[in-house]
Amino acid sequence: MAYITQFQYYDNAGATPTNKNWGSYQYVSLYDIVNNYQLMYMGNHSLVNNESRYKVLFHAKRAIQELNYDAFKEIKVLELPIDENLRFILPSDYVNWVRISLYKDGVLRPLTENIQVGSALAYLQDNTGKFLFDQDGNVLSPEYSTLDFERIKGTKKSIYLNKNSQFDGFEGYCCDGCWYFDYPGSARYGLNTETANANPTFTIDKKSGVINFDSTMSGENCILEYISDGMENGDDSLITVNKMFEDFVYAYITYAILDSKLNVQEYIVRRSQKKKTALLRNAKIRLSNIHPGRLLMNMRGQDKWIK
Amino acid sequence: MINDVYKTVLSILNKNNYGYITPQDFNLYAKQAQLDILDDYFTNYNYQVNKENARQSGTGYADLKKGYEEVIDGLSETKNLTQNATNTYFLPSQVTTSDDYYLINKVLCSRGVTFLGEAERVSHSKITMLNNSSLTAPTEKFPAYVQNGSAITVFPATINGANDVQAQYIRYPKDPKWTFTTITGGTPIFDQTQADYQDFELAIDDQVDLVMKILHMAGMSIREIQAVQFAKAEDQINIQEKK
Repeated sequence: MAYITQFQYYDNAGATPTNKNWGSYQYVSLYDIVNNYQLMYMGNHSLVNNESRYKVLFHAKRAIQELNYDAFKEIKVLELPIDENLRFILPSDYVNWVRISLYKDGVLRPLTENIQVGSALAYLQDNTGKFLFDQDGNVLSPEYSTLDFERIKGTKKSIYLNKNSQFDGFEGYCCDGCWYFDYPGSARYGLNTETANANPTFTIDKKSGVINFDSTMSGENCILEYISDGMENGDDSLITVNKMFEDFVYAYITYAILDSKLNVQEYIVRRSQKKKTALLRNAKIRLSNIHPGRLLMNMRGQDKWIK
Repeated sequence: MINDVYKTVLSILNKNNYGYITPQDFNLYAKQAQLDILDDYFTNYNYQVNKENARQSGTGYADLKKGYEEVIDGLSETKNLTQNATNTYFLPSQVTTSDDYYLINKVLCSRGVTFLGEAERVSHSKITMLNNSSLTAPTEKFPAYVQNGSAITVFPATINGANDVQAQYIRYPKDPKWTFTTITGGTPIFDQTQADYQDFELAIDDQVDLVMKILHMAGMSIREIQAVQFAKAEDQINIQEKK
Protein backbone atom coordinates (compact mmCIF):
# COMPACT_ATOMS: atom_id res chain seq x y z
CA MET A 1 0.00 0.00 0.00
CA ALA A 2 1.27 3.40 -0.87
CA TYR A 3 2.23 5.79 1.88
CA ILE A 4 -0.50 8.22 2.85
CA THR A 5 -0.36 11.88 3.76
CA GLN A 6 -0.92 13.14 7.29
CA PHE A 7 -4.27 14.53 6.14
CA GLN A 8 -5.33 11.10 4.92
CA TYR A 9 -4.07 9.52 8.12
CA TYR A 10 -5.77 11.80 10.62
CA ASP A 11 -8.90 12.77 8.72
CA ASN A 12 -9.21 10.13 6.00
CA ALA A 13 -8.92 13.06 3.57
CA GLY A 14 -12.24 14.39 4.80
CA ALA A 15 -14.17 11.22 4.04
CA THR A 16 -16.11 9.19 6.56
CA PRO A 17 -15.23 7.40 8.72
CA THR A 18 -12.50 9.86 9.60
CA ASN A 19 -10.74 7.36 11.87
CA LYS A 20 -10.30 4.76 9.12
CA ASN A 21 -6.51 5.12 8.86
CA TRP A 22 -5.64 5.54 12.51
CA GLY A 23 -2.94 3.06 13.45
CA SER A 24 -2.86 1.66 9.94
CA TYR A 25 0.91 2.08 9.71
CA GLN A 26 1.38 -0.89 12.04
CA TYR A 27 -0.08 -3.22 9.47
CA VAL A 28 0.61 -4.54 6.02
CA SER A 29 -2.31 -5.66 3.91
CA LEU A 30 -2.87 -9.12 2.49
CA TYR A 31 -2.74 -7.65 -0.99
CA ASP A 32 0.72 -6.24 -0.32
CA ILE A 33 1.90 -9.51 1.17
CA VAL A 34 0.88 -11.51 -1.91
CA ASN A 35 2.15 -8.86 -4.29
CA ASN A 36 5.51 -8.50 -2.53
CA TYR A 37 5.93 -12.24 -2.27
CA GLN A 38 5.38 -12.78 -5.96
CA LEU A 39 7.71 -9.93 -6.78
CA MET A 40 10.54 -10.83 -4.41
CA TYR A 41 10.38 -14.54 -3.70
CA MET A 42 8.99 -16.04 -6.89
CA GLY A 43 10.52 -16.14 -10.32
CA ASN A 44 13.00 -17.74 -12.67
CA HIS A 45 15.91 -17.44 -10.26
CA SER A 46 14.11 -18.12 -6.99
CA LEU A 47 13.44 -21.20 -4.93
CA VAL A 48 9.74 -20.86 -5.64
CA ASN A 49 8.80 -20.75 -9.29
CA ASN A 50 5.83 -21.59 -11.49
CA GLU A 51 3.34 -21.63 -8.62
CA SER A 52 -0.19 -20.32 -8.93
CA ARG A 53 -1.05 -17.11 -7.14
CA TYR A 54 -3.99 -18.74 -5.43
CA LYS A 55 -1.57 -21.06 -3.65
CA VAL A 56 0.41 -18.09 -2.39
CA LEU A 57 -2.84 -16.47 -1.30
CA PHE A 58 -3.96 -19.61 0.49
CA HIS A 59 -0.71 -20.00 2.43
CA ALA A 60 -0.62 -16.28 3.26
CA LYS A 61 -4.09 -16.54 4.76
CA ARG A 62 -3.19 -19.69 6.63
CA ALA A 63 -0.16 -17.95 8.08
CA ILE A 64 -2.32 -15.05 9.23
CA GLN A 65 -4.83 -17.46 10.77
CA GLU A 66 -2.09 -19.26 12.68
CA LEU A 67 -0.72 -15.95 13.93
CA ASN A 68 -4.16 -14.91 15.12
CA TYR A 69 -4.52 -18.10 17.13
CA ASP A 70 -1.43 -17.80 19.26
CA ALA A 71 0.89 -14.94 18.43
CA PHE A 72 -1.13 -11.79 18.00
CA LYS A 73 -2.44 -10.04 21.03
CA GLU A 74 -5.45 -8.81 19.16
CA ILE A 75 -8.35 -9.72 21.34
CA LYS A 76 -11.82 -8.72 20.28
CA VAL A 77 -14.40 -7.79 22.90
CA LEU A 78 -18.16 -8.08 22.58
CA GLU A 79 -20.75 -7.05 25.17
CA LEU A 80 -24.25 -8.51 25.11
CA PRO A 81 -27.04 -8.67 27.70
CA ILE A 82 -28.13 -12.16 28.65
CA ASP A 83 -31.84 -12.77 28.15
CA GLU A 84 -34.07 -15.32 29.85
CA ASN A 85 -32.70 -18.09 27.61
CA LEU A 86 -29.40 -17.62 29.46
CA ARG A 87 -27.31 -17.93 26.36
CA PHE A 88 -24.81 -15.81 24.52
CA ILE A 89 -24.63 -16.52 20.80
CA LEU A 90 -20.98 -16.69 19.74
CA PRO A 91 -19.87 -13.86 17.43
CA SER A 92 -19.74 -14.62 13.70
CA ASP A 93 -15.92 -14.47 13.67
CA TYR A 94 -15.41 -16.37 16.92
CA VAL A 95 -12.67 -18.99 17.01
CA ASN A 96 -11.81 -19.31 20.71
CA TRP A 97 -12.50 -17.47 23.95
CA VAL A 98 -9.99 -15.73 26.17
CA ARG A 99 -12.11 -14.53 29.09
CA ILE A 100 -15.79 -14.20 29.87
CA SER A 101 -16.86 -11.64 32.43
CA LEU A 102 -19.93 -10.26 34.09
CA TYR A 103 -20.11 -6.49 34.06
CA LYS A 104 -22.04 -5.33 37.09
CA ASP A 105 -21.98 -2.22 39.26
CA GLY A 106 -19.08 -0.83 37.22
CA VAL A 107 -16.92 -3.84 37.99
CA LEU A 108 -15.74 -6.49 35.56
CA ARG A 109 -16.02 -9.91 37.21
CA PRO A 110 -14.26 -12.74 35.38
CA LEU A 111 -16.43 -15.85 35.35
CA THR A 112 -15.30 -19.42 35.78
CA GLU A 113 -16.14 -22.15 33.34
CA ASN A 114 -18.31 -24.92 34.62
CA ILE A 115 -17.08 -28.07 33.00
CA GLN A 116 -20.02 -30.05 34.33
CA VAL A 117 -22.67 -30.65 31.73
CA GLY A 118 -25.23 -27.88 31.82
CA SER A 119 -27.11 -28.42 28.59
CA ALA A 120 -28.40 -31.45 26.74
CA LEU A 121 -30.52 -32.53 23.82
CA ALA A 122 -33.59 -34.59 24.70
CA TYR A 123 -35.93 -36.87 22.69
CA LEU A 124 -39.65 -37.22 23.24
CA GLN A 125 -40.90 -40.67 24.24
CA ASP A 126 -44.32 -42.11 24.80
CA ASN A 127 -45.42 -43.79 28.03
CA THR A 128 -43.92 -47.10 26.90
CA GLY A 129 -40.53 -45.51 26.30
CA LYS A 130 -40.73 -45.52 22.50
CA PHE A 131 -39.30 -42.56 20.63
CA LEU A 132 -41.68 -40.23 18.81
CA PHE A 133 -40.95 -39.28 15.21
CA ASP A 134 -42.22 -36.65 12.83
CA GLN A 135 -43.48 -37.36 9.28
CA ASP A 136 -39.93 -37.12 7.92
CA GLY A 137 -38.68 -39.80 10.25
CA ASN A 138 -36.80 -37.47 12.54
CA VAL A 139 -37.04 -37.99 16.25
CA LEU A 140 -38.95 -35.26 18.10
CA SER A 141 -37.23 -33.09 20.67
CA PRO A 142 -38.72 -30.89 23.40
CA GLU A 143 -37.77 -27.22 23.49
CA TYR A 144 -35.67 -27.77 26.58
CA SER A 145 -34.20 -30.86 28.15
CA THR A 146 -34.77 -31.25 31.89
CA LEU A 147 -31.16 -30.23 32.42
CA ASP A 148 -31.65 -27.05 30.39
CA PHE A 149 -35.00 -26.32 31.99
CA GLU A 150 -33.67 -26.55 35.51
CA ARG A 151 -30.67 -24.43 34.61
CA ILE A 152 -32.76 -21.76 32.93
CA LYS A 153 -35.53 -21.70 35.47
CA GLY A 154 -33.13 -21.98 38.40
CA THR A 155 -35.02 -24.97 39.77
CA LYS A 156 -31.84 -26.95 40.17
CA LYS A 157 -30.42 -27.06 43.65
CA SER A 158 -27.11 -25.35 44.12
CA ILE A 159 -25.02 -24.03 46.95
CA TYR A 160 -25.57 -20.50 48.16
CA LEU A 161 -22.35 -18.62 48.79
CA ASN A 162 -22.42 -15.44 50.80
CA LYS A 163 -20.17 -15.28 53.80
CA ASN A 164 -22.18 -12.37 55.22
CA SER A 165 -25.36 -14.41 55.28
CA GLN A 166 -26.52 -16.99 57.73
CA PHE A 167 -27.34 -19.21 54.74
CA ASP A 168 -23.78 -19.27 53.46
CA GLY A 169 -23.02 -22.77 52.18
CA PHE A 170 -26.67 -23.93 52.25
CA GLU A 171 -28.20 -25.83 49.36
CA GLY A 172 -31.07 -23.93 47.82
CA TYR A 173 -32.78 -22.71 44.70
CA CYS A 174 -32.06 -19.50 42.86
CA CYS A 175 -35.04 -18.11 41.00
CA ASP A 176 -35.02 -14.70 39.32
CA GLY A 177 -32.13 -13.64 41.52
CA CYS A 178 -33.78 -14.67 44.81
CA TRP A 179 -32.66 -17.68 46.85
CA TYR A 180 -35.03 -20.15 48.43
CA PHE A 181 -34.11 -22.86 50.91
CA ASP A 182 -36.03 -26.02 51.83
CA TYR A 183 -35.37 -25.68 55.52
CA PRO A 184 -32.86 -23.95 57.73
CA GLY A 185 -30.04 -26.24 58.57
CA SER A 186 -26.44 -26.26 59.37
CA ALA A 187 -23.79 -25.21 56.90
CA ARG A 188 -22.83 -27.66 54.21
CA TYR A 189 -19.31 -28.91 54.07
CA GLY A 190 -17.48 -30.76 51.32
CA LEU A 191 -17.84 -27.88 48.93
CA ASN A 192 -17.34 -28.53 45.24
CA THR A 193 -14.51 -26.05 44.75
CA GLU A 194 -14.74 -26.26 41.02
CA THR A 195 -17.99 -24.36 40.99
CA ALA A 196 -17.49 -22.50 44.26
CA ASN A 197 -17.77 -18.97 43.05
CA ALA A 198 -20.27 -16.29 43.95
CA ASN A 199 -20.40 -15.22 40.31
CA PRO A 200 -22.40 -17.10 37.67
CA THR A 201 -20.71 -19.92 35.80
CA PHE A 202 -20.87 -20.76 32.13
CA THR A 203 -20.46 -23.67 29.74
CA ILE A 204 -19.52 -23.29 26.10
CA ASP A 205 -21.50 -25.39 23.66
CA LYS A 206 -19.21 -25.11 20.64
CA LYS A 207 -21.32 -27.12 18.23
CA SER A 208 -24.46 -25.15 19.02
CA GLY A 209 -22.50 -21.91 18.91
CA VAL A 210 -23.67 -20.60 22.28
CA ILE A 211 -22.39 -19.96 25.77
CA ASN A 212 -24.85 -21.24 28.37
CA PHE A 213 -25.03 -19.54 31.76
CA ASP A 214 -26.64 -20.48 35.01
CA SER A 215 -29.85 -18.74 36.05
CA THR A 216 -28.09 -16.02 38.07
CA MET A 217 -26.84 -14.49 34.84
CA SER A 218 -30.30 -13.58 33.62
CA GLY A 219 -30.54 -9.93 32.63
CA GLU A 220 -26.86 -9.28 33.27
CA ASN A 221 -24.29 -7.87 30.88
CA CYS A 222 -21.76 -10.35 29.59
CA ILE A 223 -18.39 -9.31 28.20
CA LEU A 224 -16.80 -11.84 25.90
CA GLU A 225 -13.12 -11.50 25.06
CA TYR A 226 -12.25 -13.74 22.15
CA ILE A 227 -9.89 -14.30 19.28
CA SER A 228 -10.75 -14.56 15.62
CA ASP A 229 -8.75 -15.87 12.67
CA GLY A 230 -8.18 -12.45 11.11
CA MET A 231 -10.10 -13.26 7.94
CA GLU A 232 -12.46 -10.30 8.41
CA ASN A 233 -15.54 -12.19 7.28
CA GLY A 234 -14.01 -12.97 3.92
CA ASP A 235 -13.26 -9.40 2.93
CA ASP A 236 -9.70 -9.65 1.57
CA SER A 237 -9.32 -5.89 1.46
CA LEU A 238 -9.58 -5.70 5.27
CA ILE A 239 -7.13 -8.48 6.07
CA THR A 240 -3.92 -7.14 7.54
CA VAL A 241 -0.96 -8.41 9.50
CA ASN A 242 1.32 -6.60 11.91
CA LYS A 243 4.58 -5.57 10.25
CA MET A 244 6.54 -7.43 12.93
CA PHE A 245 5.24 -10.63 11.35
CA GLU A 246 5.68 -9.68 7.71
CA ASP A 247 8.90 -11.62 7.22
CA PHE A 248 7.42 -14.59 9.01
CA VAL A 249 4.49 -14.68 6.59
CA TYR A 250 6.88 -14.73 3.62
CA ALA A 251 8.91 -17.49 5.24
CA TYR A 252 5.75 -19.44 6.03
CA ILE A 253 4.57 -19.26 2.41
CA THR A 254 7.97 -20.39 1.12
CA TYR A 255 8.08 -23.28 3.55
CA ALA A 256 4.51 -24.37 2.85
CA ILE A 257 5.08 -24.38 -0.91
CA LEU A 258 8.47 -26.10 -0.81
CA ASP A 259 7.24 -28.64 1.69
CA SER A 260 4.48 -29.81 -0.63
CA LYS A 261 6.46 -29.61 -3.85
CA LEU A 262 7.90 -32.61 -5.59
CA ASN A 263 11.68 -33.01 -5.97
CA VAL A 264 12.74 -30.29 -3.57
CA GLN A 265 15.80 -31.41 -1.66
CA GLU A 266 15.14 -32.08 2.00
CA TYR A 267 17.87 -29.70 3.16
CA ILE A 268 16.10 -26.84 1.39
CA VAL A 269 12.81 -27.73 3.03
CA ARG A 270 14.50 -27.93 6.44
CA ARG A 271 16.23 -24.61 5.88
CA SER A 272 12.97 -22.90 5.09
CA GLN A 273 11.32 -24.53 8.08
CA LYS A 274 14.05 -23.29 10.43
CA LYS A 275 13.81 -19.82 8.98
CA LYS A 276 10.07 -19.76 9.48
CA THR A 277 10.32 -20.93 13.09
CA ALA A 278 13.10 -18.48 13.93
CA LEU A 279 11.20 -15.56 12.44
CA LEU A 280 8.08 -16.45 14.40
CA ARG A 281 10.10 -16.53 17.62
CA ASN A 282 11.70 -13.18 16.79
CA ALA A 283 8.38 -11.58 16.01
CA LYS A 284 6.79 -12.89 19.21
CA ILE A 285 9.64 -11.44 21.27
CA ARG A 286 9.33 -8.12 19.50
CA LEU A 287 5.60 -7.98 19.99
CA SER A 288 5.84 -8.92 23.66
CA ASN A 289 7.34 -5.45 24.27
CA ILE A 290 9.63 -6.57 27.04
CA HIS A 291 11.66 -3.50 27.95
CA PRO A 292 13.16 -2.14 31.18
CA GLY A 293 10.43 0.43 31.73
CA ARG A 294 7.76 -2.25 31.81
CA LEU A 295 9.73 -4.66 33.94
CA LEU A 296 10.49 -1.91 36.42
CA MET A 297 6.83 -1.33 37.14
CA ASN A 298 6.29 -5.04 37.79
CA MET A 299 9.42 -5.36 39.90
CA ARG A 300 8.30 -2.55 42.18
CA GLY A 301 5.92 -5.00 43.76
CA GLN A 302 8.75 -7.20 45.05
CA ASP A 303 9.24 -5.23 48.27
CA LYS A 304 5.59 -5.20 49.17
CA TRP A 305 4.77 -6.87 52.46
CA ILE A 306 2.36 -9.73 52.18
CA LYS A 307 0.25 -9.80 55.30
CA MET B 1 15.51 -5.09 -43.75
CA ILE B 2 13.22 -7.05 -46.05
CA ASN B 3 14.90 -5.76 -49.21
CA ASP B 4 18.33 -6.74 -47.91
CA VAL B 5 17.08 -10.22 -47.16
CA TYR B 6 15.43 -10.48 -50.55
CA LYS B 7 18.55 -9.38 -52.39
CA THR B 8 20.80 -11.68 -50.37
CA VAL B 9 18.59 -14.70 -51.01
CA LEU B 10 18.43 -13.97 -54.73
CA SER B 11 22.14 -13.32 -54.83
CA ILE B 12 22.97 -16.71 -53.32
CA LEU B 13 20.53 -18.51 -55.57
CA ASN B 14 21.65 -16.71 -58.70
CA LYS B 15 25.33 -16.93 -57.99
CA ASN B 16 25.41 -20.63 -58.70
CA ASN B 17 22.56 -20.45 -61.16
CA TYR B 18 20.33 -22.42 -58.81
CA GLY B 19 17.28 -20.53 -59.92
CA TYR B 20 15.01 -17.64 -59.10
CA ILE B 21 12.11 -17.10 -56.71
CA THR B 22 9.25 -14.73 -57.38
CA PRO B 23 8.29 -11.97 -54.94
CA GLN B 24 5.09 -13.88 -54.15
CA ASP B 25 7.07 -16.98 -53.18
CA PHE B 26 9.54 -14.90 -51.26
CA ASN B 27 6.74 -13.33 -49.21
CA LEU B 28 5.35 -16.73 -48.33
CA TYR B 29 8.74 -18.06 -47.26
CA ALA B 30 9.47 -14.84 -45.38
CA LYS B 31 6.31 -15.25 -43.31
CA GLN B 32 7.19 -18.84 -42.42
CA ALA B 33 10.77 -17.92 -41.58
CA GLN B 34 9.67 -15.07 -39.33
CA LEU B 35 7.23 -17.31 -37.40
CA ASP B 36 9.89 -19.96 -37.06
CA ILE B 37 12.34 -17.47 -35.57
CA LEU B 38 9.68 -16.08 -33.22
CA ASP B 39 9.13 -19.59 -31.87
CA ASP B 40 12.85 -19.96 -31.38
CA TYR B 41 12.92 -16.78 -29.33
CA PHE B 42 10.83 -18.31 -26.58
CA THR B 43 12.80 -21.55 -26.61
CA ASN B 44 16.09 -19.66 -26.51
CA TYR B 45 14.79 -17.40 -23.77
CA ASN B 46 13.97 -20.40 -21.61
CA TYR B 47 17.36 -21.92 -22.42
CA GLN B 48 19.08 -18.76 -21.21
CA VAL B 49 17.02 -18.71 -18.01
CA ASN B 50 18.17 -22.25 -17.27
CA LYS B 51 21.74 -21.27 -17.99
CA GLU B 52 21.46 -18.38 -15.58
CA ASN B 53 20.12 -20.70 -12.91
CA ALA B 54 23.11 -22.97 -13.51
CA ARG B 55 25.35 -19.88 -13.15
CA GLN B 56 26.60 -20.27 -16.71
CA SER B 57 25.54 -16.88 -17.92
CA GLY B 58 26.97 -13.43 -17.48
CA THR B 59 25.65 -9.93 -16.99
CA GLY B 60 25.99 -6.75 -19.02
CA TYR B 61 26.93 -7.53 -22.64
CA ALA B 62 26.94 -11.23 -21.79
CA ASP B 63 23.29 -11.09 -20.80
CA LEU B 64 21.76 -12.80 -23.82
CA LYS B 65 18.39 -13.12 -22.15
CA LYS B 66 17.96 -9.37 -22.19
CA GLY B 67 18.27 -9.34 -25.99
CA TYR B 68 15.52 -11.93 -26.36
CA GLU B 69 13.31 -10.00 -23.95
CA GLU B 70 13.74 -6.83 -25.98
CA VAL B 71 12.63 -8.49 -29.21
CA ILE B 72 9.69 -10.25 -27.57
CA ASP B 73 8.63 -7.04 -25.81
CA GLY B 74 8.72 -5.32 -29.19
CA LEU B 75 5.66 -7.38 -30.05
CA SER B 76 3.88 -6.61 -26.79
CA GLU B 77 0.44 -5.01 -26.87
CA THR B 78 -1.89 -3.90 -24.09
CA LYS B 79 -5.48 -3.51 -25.22
CA ASN B 80 -9.01 -3.68 -23.88
CA LEU B 81 -10.76 -6.96 -24.55
CA THR B 82 -14.13 -6.82 -26.26
CA GLN B 83 -16.97 -7.99 -24.07
CA ASN B 84 -18.90 -10.99 -25.28
CA ALA B 85 -21.45 -11.39 -22.48
CA THR B 86 -21.43 -10.32 -18.81
CA ASN B 87 -18.08 -11.58 -17.51
CA THR B 88 -16.93 -13.17 -20.78
CA TYR B 89 -14.50 -11.36 -23.07
CA PHE B 90 -13.08 -12.18 -26.48
CA LEU B 91 -9.38 -12.92 -26.73
CA PRO B 92 -7.38 -10.64 -29.04
CA SER B 93 -8.02 -11.32 -32.72
CA GLN B 94 -7.97 -9.51 -36.04
CA VAL B 95 -11.66 -8.71 -35.54
CA THR B 96 -11.50 -7.38 -31.99
CA THR B 97 -8.00 -5.97 -31.48
CA SER B 98 -6.66 -5.95 -35.07
CA ASP B 99 -3.97 -8.49 -34.28
CA ASP B 100 -3.65 -12.16 -33.38
CA TYR B 101 -2.05 -13.08 -30.10
CA TYR B 102 0.83 -15.48 -29.67
CA LEU B 103 0.49 -15.67 -25.91
CA ILE B 104 -1.48 -13.85 -23.23
CA ASN B 105 0.95 -12.59 -20.63
CA LYS B 106 -1.49 -11.02 -18.20
CA VAL B 107 -5.12 -10.01 -17.85
CA LEU B 108 -5.83 -6.83 -15.90
CA CYS B 109 -9.18 -6.05 -14.32
CA SER B 110 -10.48 -2.63 -13.41
CA ARG B 111 -13.67 -0.77 -12.72
CA GLY B 112 -13.73 2.52 -14.54
CA VAL B 113 -10.37 4.12 -13.84
CA THR B 114 -9.82 2.10 -10.65
CA PHE B 115 -7.47 -0.81 -11.07
CA LEU B 116 -8.73 -3.90 -9.24
CA GLY B 117 -6.15 -6.61 -9.79
CA GLU B 118 -4.42 -8.92 -12.20
CA ALA B 119 -6.49 -11.96 -13.09
CA GLU B 120 -4.78 -15.29 -12.84
CA ARG B 121 -5.24 -17.96 -15.47
CA VAL B 122 -6.72 -21.07 -13.91
CA SER B 123 -7.34 -24.42 -15.58
CA HIS B 124 -10.85 -25.78 -16.00
CA SER B 125 -9.98 -28.63 -13.67
CA LYS B 126 -9.34 -26.17 -10.83
CA ILE B 127 -11.80 -23.32 -11.31
CA THR B 128 -14.81 -25.07 -9.72
CA MET B 129 -12.85 -25.93 -6.60
CA LEU B 130 -11.36 -22.47 -6.53
CA ASN B 131 -14.78 -20.83 -6.71
CA ASN B 132 -16.00 -23.06 -3.87
CA SER B 133 -13.02 -22.37 -1.64
CA SER B 134 -13.64 -20.00 1.24
CA LEU B 135 -10.03 -18.89 1.47
CA THR B 136 -9.06 -18.63 -2.18
CA ALA B 137 -12.24 -17.93 -4.13
CA PRO B 138 -11.52 -15.23 -6.72
CA THR B 139 -12.20 -11.71 -5.49
CA GLU B 140 -11.97 -8.34 -7.18
CA LYS B 141 -8.51 -7.94 -5.66
CA PHE B 142 -7.45 -11.42 -6.75
CA PRO B 143 -9.51 -12.26 -9.86
CA ALA B 144 -9.11 -15.38 -11.99
CA TYR B 145 -10.06 -16.41 -15.50
CA VAL B 146 -10.50 -19.50 -17.61
CA GLN B 147 -10.25 -19.76 -21.35
CA ASN B 148 -13.18 -21.02 -23.41
CA GLY B 149 -12.30 -21.21 -27.08
CA SER B 150 -11.71 -17.70 -28.32
CA ALA B 151 -12.96 -16.04 -25.13
CA ILE B 152 -12.13 -15.87 -21.46
CA THR B 153 -14.49 -15.93 -18.48
CA VAL B 154 -13.45 -13.72 -15.61
CA PHE B 155 -14.24 -14.42 -11.96
CA PRO B 156 -15.78 -13.03 -9.81
CA ALA B 157 -18.71 -12.29 -12.09
CA THR B 158 -18.93 -8.76 -10.69
CA ILE B 159 -16.18 -7.85 -13.14
CA ASN B 160 -18.51 -7.37 -16.07
CA GLY B 161 -18.13 -3.86 -17.45
CA ALA B 162 -17.53 -3.29 -21.15
CA ASN B 163 -14.08 -1.83 -20.51
CA ASP B 164 -13.23 -3.69 -17.31
CA VAL B 165 -10.79 -6.20 -18.78
CA GLN B 166 -7.50 -5.49 -20.48
CA ALA B 167 -4.87 -7.90 -21.73
CA GLN B 168 -1.15 -7.57 -22.20
CA TYR B 169 -0.08 -10.07 -24.81
CA ILE B 170 2.55 -10.89 -27.38
CA ARG B 171 1.08 -10.61 -30.84
CA TYR B 172 2.18 -12.40 -33.95
CA PRO B 173 4.42 -10.25 -36.12
CA LYS B 174 2.71 -8.83 -39.16
CA ASP B 175 3.18 -10.79 -42.38
CA PRO B 176 6.25 -9.41 -44.17
CA LYS B 177 5.63 -8.17 -47.68
CA TRP B 178 8.28 -7.23 -50.20
CA THR B 179 6.40 -4.82 -52.46
CA PHE B 180 7.49 -3.75 -55.90
CA THR B 181 6.70 -1.88 -59.07
CA THR B 182 7.17 -3.59 -62.38
CA ILE B 183 9.19 -1.83 -64.98
CA THR B 184 9.61 -2.66 -68.62
CA GLY B 185 11.19 -6.06 -69.08
CA GLY B 186 9.30 -7.55 -66.19
CA THR B 187 11.94 -7.02 -63.51
CA PRO B 188 10.34 -6.13 -60.18
CA ILE B 189 11.85 -3.11 -58.46
CA PHE B 190 11.50 -2.76 -54.68
CA ASP B 191 9.00 -0.07 -53.67
CA GLN B 192 8.37 0.46 -49.99
CA THR B 193 5.83 3.22 -50.62
CA GLN B 194 3.18 0.67 -51.51
CA ALA B 195 0.25 0.58 -49.05
CA ASP B 196 0.69 -3.09 -48.23
CA TYR B 197 4.44 -2.90 -47.66
CA GLN B 198 5.52 -4.61 -44.45
CA ASP B 199 9.05 -5.10 -43.17
CA PHE B 200 10.13 -7.91 -40.86
CA GLU B 201 9.39 -7.22 -37.20
CA LEU B 202 12.44 -8.94 -35.82
CA ALA B 203 15.82 -7.64 -34.73
CA ILE B 204 18.37 -6.77 -37.41
CA ASP B 205 20.69 -9.52 -36.18
CA ASP B 206 18.06 -12.02 -37.25
CA GLN B 207 18.77 -11.16 -40.86
CA VAL B 208 21.22 -14.05 -41.21
CA ASP B 209 18.69 -16.50 -39.81
CA LEU B 210 15.99 -15.15 -42.09
CA VAL B 211 18.17 -15.51 -45.16
CA MET B 212 19.11 -19.06 -44.28
CA LYS B 213 15.56 -20.15 -43.50
CA ILE B 214 14.20 -18.58 -46.69
CA LEU B 215 17.06 -20.07 -48.66
CA HIS B 216 16.26 -23.43 -47.14
CA MET B 217 12.64 -23.21 -48.28
CA ALA B 218 13.57 -21.77 -51.66
CA GLY B 219 16.09 -24.59 -52.19
CA MET B 220 13.41 -27.12 -51.44
CA SER B 221 11.12 -25.35 -53.85
CA ILE B 222 13.51 -25.40 -56.76
CA ARG B 223 14.74 -28.86 -55.77
CA GLU B 224 18.30 -27.77 -55.37
CA ILE B 225 19.84 -29.96 -52.70
CA GLN B 226 23.05 -27.96 -52.39
CA ALA B 227 21.13 -24.80 -51.51
CA VAL B 228 19.20 -26.72 -48.86
CA GLN B 229 22.33 -28.26 -47.36
CA PHE B 230 24.15 -24.94 -47.34
CA ALA B 231 21.24 -23.23 -45.57
CA LYS B 232 20.87 -26.07 -43.11
CA ALA B 233 24.56 -26.08 -42.24
CA GLU B 234 24.56 -22.31 -41.69
CA ASP B 235 21.46 -22.59 -39.55
CA GLN B 236 23.12 -25.18 -37.33
CA ILE B 237 26.19 -23.00 -36.90
CA ASN B 238 23.97 -20.08 -35.91
CA ILE B 239 22.14 -22.16 -33.32
CA GLN B 240 25.39 -23.36 -31.77
CA GLU B 241 26.78 -19.85 -31.63
CA LYS B 242 23.73 -18.59 -29.77
CA LYS B 243 24.23 -21.19 -27.07
